[in-house]
Amino acid sequence: MTLFWLSVGFGFVTASVLAISAVGLSLQFGITNYINFAYGDFMALGAYFTYILNAEYLHLNIWVAVLGGSLMMGILAVLLNQFLLSPFARRFSKTFYVMIVTFGLSLIILNTIYSFWGPNVRTYVMPLEHVVHIGPFLLTRDQIIVMFVAVALMIGIHLMLKTSRLGKSMRAMSDNTTLAMTSGIDTRRITTITWFLSGTMAGIAGSVLGITEGNLTPAAGELFLFVIFAAVIVGGVGSIYGAMAGALLIGLATEISAAFINPAWKLDVAFVILIFALLFRPSGLFARPGKG
Amino acid sequence: MAETTNGGATSPESVFALRCQELKKSFQGVMAVTGATFDVPQGMITALIGPNGAGKTTVVNILSGMMKSDSGHMQIGSTDVTNWESFKIARLGLMRTFQLSRELGGLTVLENLLVAPQHQSGESLLNIFFRPVLVKREERENTERALEILNTYGLYDLRDTRARELSGGQKKLLEIARGVMASPKILLLDEPMAGVNPALIDRIGGYILDLKAQGMTILMVEHNLNVVEKICDHVIVLAEGRTLATGRLSELRANQDVVQAYLGEVINASPTR
Amino acid sequence: MSAMWYYVFTLVFFLFDYFILAMGLNIQYGETGILNFAYIGFVAVGAYVTGATSLPNAAGTGQQYILGWGLPFPLNLLLGGLAACLLAVFVALIALRRLRTDYLAVVLISVSLVLYDVINNYVPLFNGADGLYNVPEPFASVLKLTTNSFVPFFAALTGVVALLMWWVMSRITKSPLGRTLRAIRDDDGVAATLGKGVFRYQLTSMLIGSFYAGVGGGLIIQFGGSFNPTAWLPAETFVVFAVILVGGVGNNVGLLVGALLVETLLIHLPAFLPDIPGHPGLIEYIDTIVVGVLLMVMLWFRPQGVVPERVRRSPFSLATRSSKTLDDRAIIVPTNDGESTPVIQQETANG
Repeated sequence: MTLFWLSVGFGFVTASVLAISAVGLSLQFGITNYINFAYGDFMALGAYFTYILNAEYLHLNIWVAVLGGSLMMGILAVLLNQFLLSPFARRFSKTFYVMIVTFGLSLIILNTIYSFWGPNVRTYVMPLEHVVHIGPFLLTRDQIIVMFVAVALMIGIHLMLKTSRLGKSMRAMSDNTTLAMTSGIDTRRITTITWFLSGTMAGIAGSVLGITEGNLTPAAGELFLFVIFAAVIVGGVGSIYGAMAGALLIGLATEISAAFINPAWKLDVAFVILIFALLFRPSGLFARPGKG
Repeated sequence: MAETTNGGATSPESVFALRCQELKKSFQGVMAVTGATFDVPQGMITALIGPNGAGKTTVVNILSGMMKSDSGHMQIGSTDVTNWESFKIARLGLMRTFQLSRELGGLTVLENLLVAPQHQSGESLLNIFFRPVLVKREERENTERALEILNTYGLYDLRDTRARELSGGQKKLLEIARGVMASPKILLLDEPMAGVNPALIDRIGGYILDLKAQGMTILMVEHNLNVVEKICDHVIVLAEGRTLATGRLSELRANQDVVQAYLGEVINASPTR
Repeated sequence: MSAMWYYVFTLVFFLFDYFILAMGLNIQYGETGILNFAYIGFVAVGAYVTGATSLPNAAGTGQQYILGWGLPFPLNLLLGGLAACLLAVFVALIALRRLRTDYLAVVLISVSLVLYDVINNYVPLFNGADGLYNVPEPFASVLKLTTNSFVPFFAALTGVVALLMWWVMSRITKSPLGRTLRAIRDDDGVAATLGKGVFRYQLTSMLIGSFYAGVGGGLIIQFGGSFNPTAWLPAETFVVFAVILVGGVGNNVGLLVGALLVETLLIHLPAFLPDIPGHPGLIEYIDTIVVGVLLMVMLWFRPQGVVPERVRRSPFSLATRSSKTLDDRAIIVPTNDGESTPVIQQETANG
């Protein structure tokens, strides 16, 4: 039973990382309507930006570095959209072309990371971990901070979508871009802000993944991308709240199962859930009309 | 060639080619079709008219199987085809065109027609390699027929042009020609004359009369009452998603409900296009 | 034989092999419009099954794998192709029928990642991360080929297989079946209203393409004698897409050109360059970046590829063409909107 509760604790940690990344991916998908296959590499690059600030040059505290690295990734995402993705999306009506471009972008970012940092495992500079007992859970201080960050981000996104003008415009655009444009919403501005949010969240998720895993490698984001996809699809592509629920479900399921079967099979547990979701609820648990 | 029986049609016979009863359809809680009940008489040209938002295109989409109705029944001849998939409905002999042309853009004009015949032996992988003679003969016959049809529809010179390069009017013609190529029993035309010039309107009208003369049943969504008056034998009026009235246009002009819901607005507003 | 010829024939092999792979992906994406982002998974299944059926029983080889039938050349390759088809049926039934395209792309790329994960982790299947090795070289013992003479021999053999498969593929794409597939690619909704059972055709296309993927993979494992998970990271699918997009979607000659430009010249040729001292692997990283950038440049400036899809001309013209074709129904209506379109007056056609 202790083992079970331990793994539930890890499940919440994984779900936190997943939730941040899945919501970031969903926000962008909802607005632009194509899938960003480079998202996993956005995460990795964000993690390496954090690494620069934390271990290579400024030697900042890890959480300050996470903030800085993620903002750098957010700005880069805006630039990539402005000068690469958005021109392709406007020129070709088929989403295939821009999807292939994100696929290519994924290769370019990954190999750029390899070129600068090589394939070796890197670690952040962090104070020594001490383990904390909370109820039945056994967690490190940083894992608790990760969960706190995730919950805060989710609440923040929720409040933004429900109460702010920006959030309302985003929801309107995600429902129907043309309609939003004709009703006076500045769709380009919203798209830019969305890419900034998506990139920043990718950066946070990538760094946090590096912290919880204890190391970072260039391909870490790409491998994690599938788990994000599983969470997003199970929740319903393009639905923010679906992404949150999917993250919780997949996060808990993979970690709890890892306590009882070979942990190498984590991914496959996520895949089995994905298959069942596709068979019985192909448009996701929280599918919205018009999407999925 | 064309028997131009200008509006002088008899009342609809009891034989129907297509029948629908109480078709209903809503989108996200908004009712688009609230009760479409009508017969499309065999071998005649029937017009489906109604104000904008009356649910005409939704009805056509349901009839052609592209959308499923929430409730109600539909029948082609004596076969109940309620909520059949569109390719099965097509195989029963119902073809359609689209209000906004949906040509197969990457294919040539000729290829657009050659796709249409049903059950081509060359569509099976085994036949391609083990019965090449049969495939070749059938392909030749189909090509000849397709070229004849293109000739009739004035598209012959464009046969090797990619369909996406055609003009709007040519695309309209191509869609009708493609439907005809499939030798359907029933042809659904969704606003075949919308957005084309007056000369082409008359031309398309002539084609439709020709198809009737060949024994085809035609249901067309049409806004232009002059056209309806000239070529249609029977009219179905749809308003707010339900059948308001059916009959000949001259009868409907006398019907107060119809005039109020639709005709009045058009007659008073007057300009044909 | 000098080392240079060895390299040249290695390049020739990859040219032909990627031509086969490109034809398989092209019928799925280029002809039918299916975004098969799991393509490399089908290649891998073909490679593993070809390898495992040609290797002897696993006991005593120091490797773990299933099958181990010791089958000779064309048989093992055929089974590799068929195994990839089996995967296609599975994928089509679960995903193809239910999902719209971009959604399908996500599911398919997930399929290839999971396949990767399963084969990597489940050692008894295909020897896990070590992969299969010591796969017998076809005809090597019969023809008494040495390591050096095997390479040109197998490159030529692959050329023959590629030619045969090219012939088969052009028969398919020229046939009414190919035309129906292209109709589905252009607009599957319209194809359905024309009486085409879209799913059946998509499945056919998936099967044909997967067979090509499987055979292409089978040739790879027999050429190199080994195959492991590093050879088919999910991103490899991108390379095959790059081949068909650069060469020309929907044109078989274009695919060969694409295989030459992308696979042979850009990906394999730089692999023979010596490493930059102190930076192991850097050339490979930069090379991959170049491939990505070139594809984007290509898509922007010449989206139809080097050799675009041909217009399929009508095979013959109408013998008895009536003279009154284009305008015989044109009724004399002066166009009100000021356009001076010439209208031919034809008394006969007026009703």
